[in-house]
Amino acid sequence: MANISCNDIVKSYGAHPVIEGLDLDIPDHEFVVFLGPSGCGKSTMLRMIAGLEEVTGGRIAIGGTDVTDLPPGERGVAMVFQSYALYPHMSVADNITFGLRRQGASRSEIAPRLKQVAELLGLEKFLDRKPKNLSGGQQQRVAMARAMIKTPQVFLFDEPLSNLDAKLREKLRTEIRKIHMQLKTTTIFVTHDQLEAMTIADRIVLMRDGRIEQMGTPDEIYERPATRFVADFIGTPAMNFVSADIAAGDRLIAHGEGMTLELSRSAFPDLAPGQRVELGLRPARMELCTPDTSNAITGRVVLVENMGAEGQVITEVAGREVSFVTQSFRDLSPGDPVSFTISPDHIHVFDSSTGHSLRRN
Amino acid sequence: MTRKRFVTLTLVPAIGLLATLALVSIAGAVWFAVMNRTLRSPDYDFVGAYNFLRLLRDRRFFNALEISAIWEAVTVAGTLALAVFLAVLIFETVKKPLYRNLICFAFLVPVLLPRVAAAFIWRFLYSPSLGVLNYLCGLVGIGPVEFLADPSLALISVAAVDIWQWGLFFSVILLKLLETLPRDPIEAAMLDNARTWEIHAFVTLPMLRGPLISLALVKAVESLRSFDLIFVMTGGGPGTATETLDLYAYQMGINMGGRISYASAMSLLLLVVTTVAFTIIWKAGKKWAS
Ligand SMILES: Nc1ncnc2c1ncn2[C@@H]1O[C@H](COP(=O)(O)OP(=O)(O)OP(=O)(O)O)[C@@H](O)[C@H]1O
Ligand SMILES: [Mg+2]
Repeated sequence: MANISCNDIVKSYGAHPVIEGLDLDIPDHEFVVFLGPSGCGKSTMLRMIAGLEEVTGGRIAIGGTDVTDLPPGERGVAMVFQSYALYPHMSVADNITFGLRRQGASRSEIAPRLKQVAELLGLEKFLDRKPKNLSGGQQQRVAMARAMIKTPQVFLFDEPLSNLDAKLREKLRTEIRKIHMQLKTTTIFVTHDQLEAMTIADRIVLMRDGRIEQMGTPDEIYERPATRFVADFIGTPAMNFVSADIAAGDRLIAHGEGMTLELSRSAFPDLAPGQRVELGLRPARMELCTPDTSNAITGRVVLVENMGAEGQVITEVAGREVSFVTQSFRDLSPGDPVSFTISPDHIHVFDSSTGHSLRRN
Repeated sequence: MTRKRFVTLTLVPAIGLLATLALVSIAGAVWFAVMNRTLRSPDYDFVGAYNFLRLLRDRRFFNALEISAIWEAVTVAGTLALAVFLAVLIFETVKKPLYRNLICFAFLVPVLLPRVAAAFIWRFLYSPSLGVLNYLCGLVGIGPVEFLADPSLALISVAAVDIWQWGLFFSVILLKLLETLPRDPIEAAMLDNARTWEIHAFVTLPMLRGPLISLALVKAVESLRSFDLIFVMTGGGPGTATETLDLYAYQMGINMGGRISYASAMSLLLLVVTTVAFTIIWKAGKKWAS
């Protein structure tokens, strides 16, 4: 087990830079998720840590040892691929033990470990089968067993669940989390599914265009997004963004796009009258209210989307769409006038030009 | 039903034509084989199995059978070994697509040469007095080596030409096959501590088992037809050191004896032996590939 530290990592393909000066420290035992839109460099970063891709610049250390120039096999990492990457011509047992056999482990040493991981992942029945005779979920388990049997210092997962159906994905996600609680091996897990990231991570590293946009616990990322990009990326339904101007006066009020909203003075002490900002309103933080409530937003229902326990209501407010989530969505139908409110504590404020959060505490 | 009819209707003419051609020539061979025809005289008699019985007592025939078997084994194994070695070597060392394509192009040239031309080129290269190979041997202090005149070397020397032509060609095919393999299992093997040769021995080549078996079969069939190469390079000599069955049949039937019937009997036996051998190999290969 080991911490991972990446120092000023640069990666470019030809003249085209993909990662530009990325610094990252992952403490021992932590479960870190790389999250970000497609093409932001998550896989590239993971593959550089694994040694499958050379760095253009910078150093990578695992457990205090500089591994930048070591081949993949000597870094003490194990990786689970999105495509499972099983050896198609070998039985499940041979697939799992291939790495140990390459290290020259003896038969008597391999057998009990095979039994142990096969039990842990429920693969005892399949050991003699070929991968092509297994379902996707079973294949993914074999891939995980193959990674685990080596007792690596670091686990790397590159979108391991994205080829599975939603139900199985949830089940395996829980399993991965449980196994991590048991083994406590430092883990990096790549996904572009924000829900997956929120549920599984100790810490999320949110990436954008080869840079780290924000790093923090799921709660920090959700409650205190550092930029408009993070706020937009995290949470379903997606956050509403409203351009507004700060009004002069005792209370901190923002006007814009048919709304007048009070903001929290303690969270945004630096806002000055006349300043142009962008407000972020999470649909899940809003609730139905009467039109005279403070911070009420009034509009007309356009569409109601049933999500089971809750419903997303899409409304039109002063010519633009704003959505919110409520449990009493069944009383609403398109065309109805509707009012909803959000507490000042839950309004996010971003600089309208840089996109940085203006929250100070 | 209509599909079945369509398949039948389209296949029957072609198969019929091929079958007729094959059957007519086989029937002709059988007809000759039970007679005692020679090119020298127009008379002939029915002799039954006499030619076949004589074959079984013909030492030179069994020598030719042995040479043919060795020829098959050496050329097929040699071609595949060279192809695998070169394909893996290029796959691991040459990463630039341009250089790879140039190498592939160069490797395709030998097989494009007419075999007779290749045979003449190599006869010259092998020449004891003028050949480049003997010049090189001279530099390291051996030789002159009689590549084609030494009975113990001649067959291997001719086989080397065949392997040169086909091994390079097959290495291009194998390289392209290696390039089509998914990267992930190879990378997984790298993470699994496999050395480069282990990755190929345990992962990529087993994944290419099916194509490799097909290539071996193609080469085995092709090796049966190397009359022209051997004929030009050694003519079966020295002595009978490179005399394969087809060369012997040619010598008996056309060149020396003109004993058409005897040669026909030999060809028929060759047909039976190869059919049986290939059926067994094919079955075994299919079982192994699955
Ligand atoms: N071999 C390569 N040559 C050139 N560019 C590449 C290569 N591999 C990746 N890239 C580029 O690097 C960038 C990052 O790719 P990467 O695969 O890391 O993205 P990702 O974050 O994993 O995306 P996804 O979520 O779609 O898997 C992309 O813009 C991609 O086009
Ligand atoms: Mg990726």
